[in-house]
Amino acid sequence: MTVPSEQAVSGTTDGGDAVQPELLRFLSARTGRSWTTDTDLFAAGGLSSLFAMELVVHLEQTYGISVRGTDLRLENFRTVRRMAALVDRLRRPTGDDGA
Amino acid sequence: MTTVPEPVVAAATVADLVGDRAADWDRAGRLPEEVVRKLGAAGLLAAQIPTAHGGPGWSSLDNGVFTARVGSLCSSLRSVMTSQGMAAWTVERLGSRAQATSLLPRLASTETAAVAFSEPQAGSDLSAIATTVTIEGDALLLDGHKVWVTAAEHADLFLVFARYGEGGAVVVVPRSAPGVRLRRRSDPLGCRAAGHADVWFDGVRLPTDSLLGDGGQSLSLLVTTALTYGRISVAWGCVGILQACLAAAVDHAGRRHQFGNPLAQHQLVARHLADLWSAEQVATRVCEHASRCWDEGSPEVVTATVLAKYVSAGHAVRAAADAVQVLASAGAQDGHPVARAYRDAKVMEIIEGSTEMCQLMLADRALHRR
Repeated sequence: MTVPSEQAVSGTTDGGDAVQPELLRFLSARTGRSWTTDTDLFAAGGLSSLFAMELVVHLEQTYGISVRGTDLRLENFRTVRRMAALVDRLRRPTGDDGA
Repeated sequence: MTTVPEPVVAAATVADLVGDRAADWDRAGRLPEEVVRKLGAAGLLAAQIPTAHGGPGWSSLDNGVFTARVGSLCSSLRSVMTSQGMAAWTVERLGSRAQATSLLPRLASTETAAVAFSEPQAGSDLSAIATTVTIEGDALLLDGHKVWVTAAEHADLFLVFARYGEGGAVVVVPRSAPGVRLRRRSDPLGCRAAGHADVWFDGVRLPTDSLLGDGGQSLSLLVTTALTYGRISVAWGCVGILQACLAAAVDHAGRRHQFGNPLAQHQLVARHLADLWSAEQVATRVCEHASRCWDEGSPEVVTATVLAKYVSAGHAVRAAADAVQVLASAGAQDGHPVARAYRDAKVMEIIEGSTEMCQLMLADRALHRR
């Protein structure tokens, strides 16, 4: 659960463009509902914070990132657009782990 | 670095360490400090700490099987393991690289930790946590009162869940910090020797880097993160309770004769044995599933751990009652493994998400997702 997958989606060429459609497909497959990039996933009638943790693990495994420390804010997972932005930021090479 | 034993060797080591003393520890309400320290020094209180941080680096599955073995011997000792493992996982998940580098090697060897969630008005509803952390200049100030902190009596460090502005935070607090005060919880129903205590944090001043990952995370995500480890550990502990109950009931039913036959040949007793074996098998399989999800990095791990905890705790409660019924007067004695299991199992339905909270989460899974 701690180590990002070796099958992670490459982050070098597709930027954030491929992330949003993939996340929409993942959400649709898991929930049986359709979502838009700006739908609030956790608004009334939406998904639980337990599901937010599943999204954390999914992002880590799919994109080879590590979501830690201050990035574990519900706000980062509230919409597909925000998750894609988080992925984009965490894929950029930095000298630190972002925590 | 200490040489870390393999899971099979570790299981034999812990069996030797516990021996036949678990009943005495239970009645005394205390684990010997040297037992906790020996397991800690071998890295076995938190065996999933990565090797890069000086831990054994076991998989969830290996650690689960080991946890069950410890749980079959002594649920109190297993509870201390759960606390240490949950603390280590929380540091690994929430801490900065520098914090992980500093804390994890200590948790893999010399120091023990307890995780402080519950408060007088915050049990299942941890959004009601009232403990607060504020920043004052170059220090942080922690104020609050935690209850039922498992392993507190053995802890060198506390990981305290608190409010921090609009969000939450986990604060690493040395037990020796001024303003930290403990009061032992005497005579709990189960896991009597697990060192439960209430802990007060009165104006505790600490360096700001005592906040894991700078704090400010969502409280619900913080709690879910920590409890994901706690639930799978408790679930495997329930497998251990089931193993102990099954072994005791089978042994007794084979040796004890009534009406001219072994108890096991009486069909109503045989039904109890069937239920015990089935419960042990079901709990083991659901825990294996959760651990495999963990080891494979599957998003399903979050629900799988809730499922494992719910199923295993429920089976442990029913099976422990079955075991006491099979042993009857032989098992209805304080200090007998099945009498201890009967009390310990009930606690498993309360901690790390009560049965009812698990049911709500599983119902949500059923209603909203495929």
